[in-house]
Amino acid sequence: MSTEAPEKAGDEAPSSGGGAGTGGGSRFDLEKETELRFEVEAGERVQLELLSGLAEVFGSELNRNKKYTFGAGSKIAVFTWQGCSLSLSGKTEVAYVSKDTPMLLYLNTHAALEQMRRQAEKDNERGPRVMVVGPTDVGKSTVCRLLLNYAVRLGRRPTLVELDVGQSSVSVPGTMSALYIERPADVEEGFSVQAPLVFHFGSTSPGTNIKLYNKLTSCLAEVFSQRCEVNRKASVGGCIINTCGWVKGSGYQALVHCASAFQVDVVLVLDQERLYNELKRDLPHFVRVVLLPKSGGVVERSKDCRRETRDDKIREYFYGFRGTTFYPHAFDVRFSDVRIYKIGAPSIPDSCLPLGMSQDDTQLKLVPVSPGRDLTHHVLSVSCVEDDAEGGESRSRGILESPVCGFIVVTAVDTQAQVMTVLAPAPRPLPRHTLLIMDIRFIDLK
Amino acid sequence: MAANDIQPEPVQIDFSNELLSSPELFQRRSQSHKIPVRGQKEFLPNDSVQQMACLQKTLDEHWMLVTEERVERVGNLVNADWIPEEKLVKLQSPAGKFWQTMGFSDQGKQCLFPEEALYLMESGNVQVFYQDLPLSIQEGYESFLSDETVTLLQYQVFGHLKRLGYVVNRFDTRLPSLYKQQLNLHLSSNRPSKQPKRKWSQSPSFRPCNKKSTASPEESAGQHEGEIKTSVPYSSVEDPGQLQTQQAFQDEILKSDPELDSAPGRNWWTNISSQPQPDSFQTSVRYWDFSCIFFPDLGSLSGNCACLPPPDPSLLPGALQVPECHMAHWHRNINLKEEYRSKQKQQREQHRQRCNINDDQGVRRCRNWVEYLELVKKRRSQQHNKRLTYLREQEVMPLSQPGKCSSHRELLEQVNIIQSYDLLVANSRLPSSDQWRINFNVYQPDTEFKKSYPGKPYTRLCVCSFDGPVPNLHVLKQLSFQSGDVSVTFAVVDHGDISFYCFKEFKLPTDVY
Repeated sequence: MSTEAPEKAGDEAPSSGGGAGTGGGSRFDLEKETELRFEVEAGERVQLELLSGLAEVFGSELNRNKKYTFGAGSKIAVFTWQGCSLSLSGKTEVAYVSKDTPMLLYLNTHAALEQMRRQAEKDNERGPRVMVVGPTDVGKSTVCRLLLNYAVRLGRRPTLVELDVGQSSVSVPGTMSALYIERPADVEEGFSVQAPLVFHFGSTSPGTNIKLYNKLTSCLAEVFSQRCEVNRKASVGGCIINTCGWVKGSGYQALVHCASAFQVDVVLVLDQERLYNELKRDLPHFVRVVLLPKSGGVVERSKDCRRETRDDKIREYFYGFRGTTFYPHAFDVRFSDVRIYKIGAPSIPDSCLPLGMSQDDTQLKLVPVSPGRDLTHHVLSVSCVEDDAEGGESRSRGILESPVCGFIVVTAVDTQAQVMTVLAPAPRPLPRHTLLIMDIRFIDLK
Repeated sequence: MAANDIQPEPVQIDFSNELLSSPELFQRRSQSHKIPVRGQKEFLPNDSVQQMACLQKTLDEHWMLVTEERVERVGNLVNADWIPEEKLVKLQSPAGKFWQTMGFSDQGKQCLFPEEALYLMESGNVQVFYQDLPLSIQEGYESFLSDETVTLLQYQVFGHLKRLGYVVNRFDTRLPSLYKQQLNLHLSSNRPSKQPKRKWSQSPSFRPCNKKSTASPEESAGQHEGEIKTSVPYSSVEDPGQLQTQQAFQDEILKSDPELDSAPGRNWWTNISSQPQPDSFQTSVRYWDFSCIFFPDLGSLSGNCACLPPPDPSLLPGALQVPECHMAHWHRNINLKEEYRSKQKQQREQHRQRCNINDDQGVRRCRNWVEYLELVKKRRSQQHNKRLTYLREQEVMPLSQPGKCSSHRELLEQVNIIQSYDLLVANSRLPSSDQWRINFNVYQPDTEFKKSYPGKPYTRLCVCSFDGPVPNLHVLKQLSFQSGDVSVTFAVVDHGDISFYCFKEFKLPTDVY
């Protein structure tokens, strides 16, 4: 943020002045291969309109004379390959035009991937599987979105694999998911979330249970491979894997594991030469590791900012985009009707373990949770696993590996009456009765 | 009277010089004939003067003993001729008392095996001539001992046991058929004629093996085996056809036995086995040719490719026309910063830096993930086996639960995890290894020993070196099968010191009552 300060001071005057003066907003004329970057102030909205020429937001093209609205906290870059003029209305924190963008490099990357898809199509092989890695705040998700948009605009059907449990762009935080992309992302809303495959992870950092993280990565890879076998288009489209910003220690090991689980062909490293060199060393030679710069427009997000985005994401799940489209249901659920589990038992010192047991086993163990007051505001995943009467030991494995069909939030717990009130996207009853508890809380304030 | 010297010179010297005068003879007789005592072995040099002196004294005594001229009566010496072509020593004058336990007759000629001749030379019973000149003991060692006859190790064991009084014979490695073994035919079949056997050992089926085997030890051991066949009486009962099939079978094993991989001079075999492997993957190979797919990789930036050509518009959305891409500019902006790490971490990092997985030949050979993951899995399972973690894979259970057993027998059966193993069971089909073979039959001294009817040996000997490998279960099974109902003793030679080991069978108690 601090680096942006001088520019902000310089840009603020004409931008806000223009907005206040005409009401139609300030006009920006962009030369070719430049981009307009702006951030929306807290509590404000900004409207963007393409007046002439061609422009795109993270790979999605803008319609001419259509007003796009961006909510508070949005950080948008409008790029043009050919040159365009734009109009911006509303209060922006920052708005400036930059010539210094790595878009050409990203476009070349896309061209290379497209070449690979062509070859795959011709040779009846599978398309490129790309993993995007880098530290936090280098624009990994944006690069993913860009590459996916470009691919889908050429008629490809790539798959987005979202492994960033903190800032998932597909589902609520604390999940790992895969999404089959059939149309470019909406400029405002992002990719339309239709039938994503979501696995419950339960926390916003992979470090809390790295074993589970790796297991779910393998699960996703397996499901994706199965899909590729039956769906030729998905196979040729390949996948683009978005990863966490944790690139050291076990986070790094998780990246290497992910690369081998998905059998990636290309690894795009954003803005860290150390990571690039490490991956070159630890991945077999036939994996192409590519170092790419980050865009100058990438803004560092604070912890609070991240938490807010997470909250917004959960709210969006229940209430729809900008809280307008969906109407969630609140109803009571009896404790006796559901089984609540937490994944991962607390670790025990080795000396207390029985002979021959290793600590790793506890991380994947399902621990039944008896509902209590402390359950309030927690997000629960409704597991897809079939509710058979007596599960027993054999089934506990299935719960870990089965996807999630939805999420609910516990809004109140009545221990006396043995019921809890939940917020759910669908009316009662719950489709399944196996619930997995997340570390993430959501307080429904708005 | 003549003296055989260790030095080679006496060969050139005229015989008459070797005759001793009577005073000299008296001097000899008065000399002490004690063998110096070696005493306790010193294991570590401690650089003390005392140790040095002690060592020097022992060495001097040893040299004295070795250089001492031996005096024998010419009349007592049996003359013999060394026939290198047959690797035999043929006696020229009637044999002495040793004939009771050594030698054999061939076409009316009394013959000695080289090791027997050498032993008799050393003990002053035989004088061996070659081209009408007497051989010194040193020459005897040089010409008699070879891989084709008896190796030095084997001779050391042979001599050691002979000096102790045992009767030691060569052992026939060829197995009597199971049927004959059951009938104990080989014990009763005596008085064989050696003539036909000699022919067999030079039968054409065996010759190819001989031709290529001049240098490699295990194959010349094969010849050794052929040689042995000529000598052992009871082998003659088998018909030549059976022998040939047996040899063909052994030749086959020579080619297929995996243990040979490790043997020197056999590298061609391992080369061949590793060669066809990549070919089997040929069909599933798939990899991208990244030399014609250009990624804007800032990491591998070099001077000439700092500029990416504009991509084909058909690859781009909206058929974009873009200019070429200059990358040098971006390279400057990349985050090269080394973040702070503790010293320990840095060291670990540096260590890891050195082990690039792509330096590994096996990894380099992999062409896609399938191959790579297979390799990793294989290596991991190998490591896994090394660490015996399979012990932990299964649930840990008590071997027996209280109340489950009603008798001691039942309990002992449950607790008995390692099944007792009979060396003689189900091993008749085991391929024989060239490295391990039984070398000698040993008979107790002091018995009414007859060469023609030796009876059951006291034990059979397998000579091996202290530096060599330890026999594994396979070898034990195979040797004990060859040996039949006679125990096999391993004579382990450590620079002249011989120790004997044997594996005794014993049974765990099954019932305390």
